[in-house]
Amino acid sequence: MINKNTSVKSSLIKNSRLIGKIANILLPLMLGVVILILWQTEILHKIFNTDVFTLPLPSRIINIIMDNQAKIVLNIQATVMVSVFGLILGSLLGYLIALIATIFPKWGAGGLTIVSAFNAIPIVALAPVITNWTKDVSKDAEIRSMVAKIIVVMIICTAAMSINAYRGLTELKPFSLDLMKSYASDNKSIFLKLRLPNSLPYVFTALRVSVPASVIAALVSEYFAEYIIGVGRQIRENIVLAQYSTAWAYIMIACFIGILMYVILLIAENIMLKNR
Amino acid sequence: MHNKDNNTEIMLNQIGMVYNSNGKDVTALTNVTLDIQKGEFISLLGPSGCGKTTLLRIIADLLKPTSGEITVGGESPKEARLKRRYGIVFQSPVLYDWRTVRKNIQLPLEIMKVKKSEYDERVESMLDLVGLSKFGDHYPKELSGGMQQRVGIARALAIRPEILLMDEPFSALDEFTREKLHDDLLKIWSKTNKTVVFVTHNISEAVYLSDRVCVLSPHPGRLSAVVDINLPRPRSKEMRSSVEFNQLVTTVRNSFEGV
Repeated sequence: MINKNTSVKSSLIKNSRLIGKIANILLPLMLGVVILILWQTEILHKIFNTDVFTLPLPSRIINIIMDNQAKIVLNIQATVMVSVFGLILGSLLGYLIALIATIFPKWGAGGLTIVSAFNAIPIVALAPVITNWTKDVSKDAEIRSMVAKIIVVMIICTAAMSINAYRGLTELKPFSLDLMKSYASDNKSIFLKLRLPNSLPYVFTALRVSVPASVIAALVSEYFAEYIIGVGRQIRENIVLAQYSTAWAYIMIACFIGILMYVILLIAENIMLKNR
Repeated sequence: MHNKDNNTEIMLNQIGMVYNSNGKDVTALTNVTLDIQKGEFISLLGPSGCGKTTLLRIIADLLKPTSGEITVGGESPKEARLKRRYGIVFQSPVLYDWRTVRKNIQLPLEIMKVKKSEYDERVESMLDLVGLSKFGDHYPKELSGGMQQRVGIARALAIRPEILLMDEPFSALDEFTREKLHDDLLKIWSKTNKTVVFVTHNISEAVYLSDRVCVLSPHPGRLSAVVDINLPRPRSKEMRSSVEFNQLVTTVRNSFEGV
């Protein structure tokens, strides 16, 4: 009896989940297509009372991307590298801070407050300071700019991870610590078998915030970097030169990078948290 | 089944527990003296606030009493805990949702550094014992509440403890599932012959399961009576409606003070 009920229930859940998943992908996609059609047919321009010079048509943007592939790839590489390295380093640092706060609960709360205060500093304020700070790191402008940008992204990603990971490491199910104590478990086992796996969903919660933030931080920090490279920097350079079509090509690419990284994250989350 | 010899497993002598809450001392337990025999099924019964869970946690070495002595097999509760003589079943199943049923039962074996070659056999026999052999590879969220609590029992027994401590393990279950689990638990108990200390606020549950029912009264928490349950074993469903059973329920109910 129990067996049958459970299997019926779980297949129902599976079905409704599948439908939910398809709807989750299809609906936003349809919205995107509708916007694209409005854009290409210049209805969007009428709505916003603008012209095709300021807001170039999608077909024109695609042409520009096709004509400048080599240059665009180079800029994508620079931006993705900064956001991914910054994301990884910042998340690791955030988790480490959460871990220290868990081990020393008395300092923990205070330490985490300071970290979240850091998060309140806008990127536009942070980037010039870090650029100035790292000016002696390397003789090569490209490298020292890269270091500065990575540090900005890292700082942006640290807070979300440390706050969420701390919750994941400390918000345990009632009695789970008592259970470990009843097994005479050492602290190492408590960490590896309880706190670490318990924190995993919280790590993904943090990454859902950090992944888009890391792309934005990379784009904005490029504005203030010494060395001119990156998708964000190209947006700025081309707007300054009133080359709106090229600027829009880079804006589209920036969106694409953000979406792609988020999709990769969601796939990873689906695999890692499959049975939660 | 009821051992009347001097085979004492747990000895509580004048146990008292005083909490400090907002600068005021609150007496949770006072003057509890009790001997629990080896292999005995004993219930700690009382309303909320009577200190029954506190008493269980003192035995389990999850709390230290503020007065009195306690020995478990002649040792301190801490020594008993470090030797893994306790298996504990909590109010909620406390299953790790990232582990399958099998891996949940395996958890204490990993912590005890039991040889890997021994895992499977032990886990399998535990699954069999609680009647969940088919559910080893399921995740906790796929099981009903009653099944989850059975996994909790299997996990507690996996370390082969001498003493099984159960803290209102069936209180969140419906009446039908609970009565089924009563019989399952008694079957497991008769097979393994553990000492069981069972905390509950359900009078008929305590009477049905136990050799002796310890009645705890609140404000302050104290042991107000110990009632022998002389019903024959194995206990059966029919007994629940027998005259003897109901007389015992009445006796237990009348032994509460100040409720």
